[in-house]
Amino acid sequence: MPLMETKGAHLGWAAFSRRGFLTALGGLATASAFSGSPLAASLLEQNAGDDARLFASAYKLADGSFGIGLLDDYGQVLGRITLPGRGHGIAVSPDRRRFVAFARRPGTFALLVRPFEDAEPLALVSEPGRHFYGHGVYSSDGRLLYAVENDFEAVRGVIGVYDVSGHLAHRIGEIPTHGIGPHDIALSADGRTLVVANGGIETHPERARKKLNLDTMQPSVVFVDAAGGDLVARHQLDASLHQLSLRHMALDQKGQAWVGGQYEGPSSDVPPLVAVFTPDDMPRTTEIPGVFAGKLENYIGSVAANRAGDVIATSAPRGGHTLFWNAETGAFLGAQTIPDGCGVAPADQGSFLISDGNGGVSYVVEPGAQTEILSRPPGFSWDNHLIAIS
Amino acid sequence: MRASFLGIVLSVLAVQPAAAADFNDAIDNAIAGYIRPATAQFADSAGKLPEAVQAVCADTSEANLQAFRAAYSATIRDFSRIQFLRFGPLLEEDRLSRLAFLPDPRGIGQRQIRKIYAAKDETALSAATLKEKSVAVQSLTAFDLIAFDKDTNVVLGSADDTREFTCSYAGAIAQNAAQIASAVAADWQDPDGYSKLLLTGGADNDLFRSSQEAMETVYNALTTGITVVKDQDILPALGSSEAKAKPRRVPFSRSANGLVYLSGELAGIKDAVVSMDLIPHLPEENHRALDTLDFEFNNIQNTLSGLKAPIRQTFDGGSYNKLRAVSFTLSSVHYLMTNGMAGPMGLAGGFNALDGD
Repeated sequence: MPLMETKGAHLGWAAFSRRGFLTALGGLATASAFSGSPLAASLLEQNAGDDARLFASAYKLADGSFGIGLLDDYGQVLGRITLPGRGHGIAVSPDRRRFVAFARRPGTFALLVRPFEDAEPLALVSEPGRHFYGHGVYSSDGRLLYAVENDFEAVRGVIGVYDVSGHLAHRIGEIPTHGIGPHDIALSADGRTLVVANGGIETHPERARKKLNLDTMQPSVVFVDAAGGDLVARHQLDASLHQLSLRHMALDQKGQAWVGGQYEGPSSDVPPLVAVFTPDDMPRTTEIPGVFAGKLENYIGSVAANRAGDVIATSAPRGGHTLFWNAETGAFLGAQTIPDGCGVAPADQGSFLISDGNGGVSYVVEPGAQTEILSRPPGFSWDNHLIAIS
Repeated sequence: MRASFLGIVLSVLAVQPAAAADFNDAIDNAIAGYIRPATAQFADSAGKLPEAVQAVCADTSEANLQAFRAAYSATIRDFSRIQFLRFGPLLEEDRLSRLAFLPDPRGIGQRQIRKIYAAKDETALSAATLKEKSVAVQSLTAFDLIAFDKDTNVVLGSADDTREFTCSYAGAIAQNAAQIASAVAADWQDPDGYSKLLLTGGADNDLFRSSQEAMETVYNALTTGITVVKDQDILPALGSSEAKAKPRRVPFSRSANGLVYLSGELAGIKDAVVSMDLIPHLPEENHRALDTLDFEFNNIQNTLSGLKAPIRQTFDGGSYNKLRAVSFTLSSVHYLMTNGMAGPMGLAGGFNALDGD
């Protein structure tokens, strides 16, 4: 989760040696759901002792299969976990030892993975009457998992609360999101407040991905007390932007929620697509530079903060551009052009990795500098989100 | 009453997808007119590489050296013409990565090869054991590193203490590449293989639910091929300025085949597009796109042939600006192939550009 990136600075990063990780992979390779790649062994020999930066992303392979790929900071696929359907977001535990990969909406499965242990992934299935929206976040002590879900008969969003402290997961309750179509979720740095972007779009699993309320949709960003579930604050953009579905999110170093939108109004409109929310202030939208106006297809796919939380990246895969923002001032910093580039994750201090639907993994040192394509594993299409897992 | 009836008709139209266009003719044209001959050609040239390696290792006569260079260059040329076919046979058993480990900006291949030399690792010396090793050390990109020096000279067969080892290792890579090329060609020739899957898109086909989905797989490989040439093969070599250019970053430039490779990549993509005969699938106002594409591709080839070869340590004689011009033209080509052709044909773009989340 993007949230964890800004939070990590406070927790201190747990450093895993590459050998430790790959040794664990070797064990997992015997598990049916997990397969190591041919490169893993050679990288094991070569980079032993390095502190690894590891990433994960959902993918589709050219043979039609889906899974989660584990990548190193060279963009090399070290391991794969097969999924029964298309995945989407990934929540990482605060100690970085576990993650949960969610099905893409309206999926009903999530997979709990302990990548450093010789353990089979554990499948989690949504409750009857609920499906996952593709995102979730751990509590700050790592004992709870909050997953955004659709209560589709009541047409309301909920946060399913799961106890994941043991080896099995139990759903222990749910919290209303005070909106429809909750999509991304983050946890404030102090662990007390859940931030949810309610996309506002009504869907029903029997009608697949059909959007049922575009004329009346009311997206919002809500701040909810994580312990009691009380609503702390709820914000909407100006009524003229009610068709801007607020979906993906990252928290910056100050805890402001940067939210990327997907516009459901006329394609000839050129609305703002990125907005900043806090509990106490009116939301602000950023100004997309004229050169990109109309070139983003009104669609932001991912939002991520760098490790320091002072630069925000927002990808627009349909337009093929990723835009960078100064988190402090809201100023536009620069852009990168990567066809179908969508997944964005913080890499080293200040830098980002961007994954794309054509298999590419690119390294961006600075917003305006030339990107470097690190890898392009044949047959892979990287899904919307790239997540730093260590 | 009339208004509500109209309303019903409109809502029905809105939910019914437009009659799915049939792209089987274009896919069939691509398979028969481009993919099968091009993969057969690669199998043929790669099949001659092991013998050329053997000959130059037995005797580094000028004739053998020249024959070796020609055989390797032909292999790279014919590989460059099929490497963008990132679907089906070329992806089976990691074949594409085992033919070329690209991109490799961090030099993973070079470091792994050094380890093989340091350990005198004999599992690198036969195709049978090499193919079990890291893809980075069994590919033609590894061959470039061991058979040539950084100034494009052939070192294969030269008298030094690694002569035997390098000859065996290069022979193993050549055989590995020949076997993979042959398997790719055979798989594409097989009428009941992947080509059948591509040509039978529909409800009964698990991989392609329609011929449009099959066409999108083929067509998106072409546009991705353009992105690879521009963003992956050319821009890293150009760097941020002429002073910071790194011509050695062009794939296969170590063996003086950098331009052969770039030119072949683009010629292959162009020939594949032409082979499909897309006119019946394009609205009339977009027919000109094919002429424009032809014009742009020809311009690029003319510019590339005017570059001073080989590109390796420096870009001489205005080559930098010429290659920069090629990268700009490739942006137009990409735009033309996506917005000017794929869109009007009703083809969906990339994976994340589909119905979003």
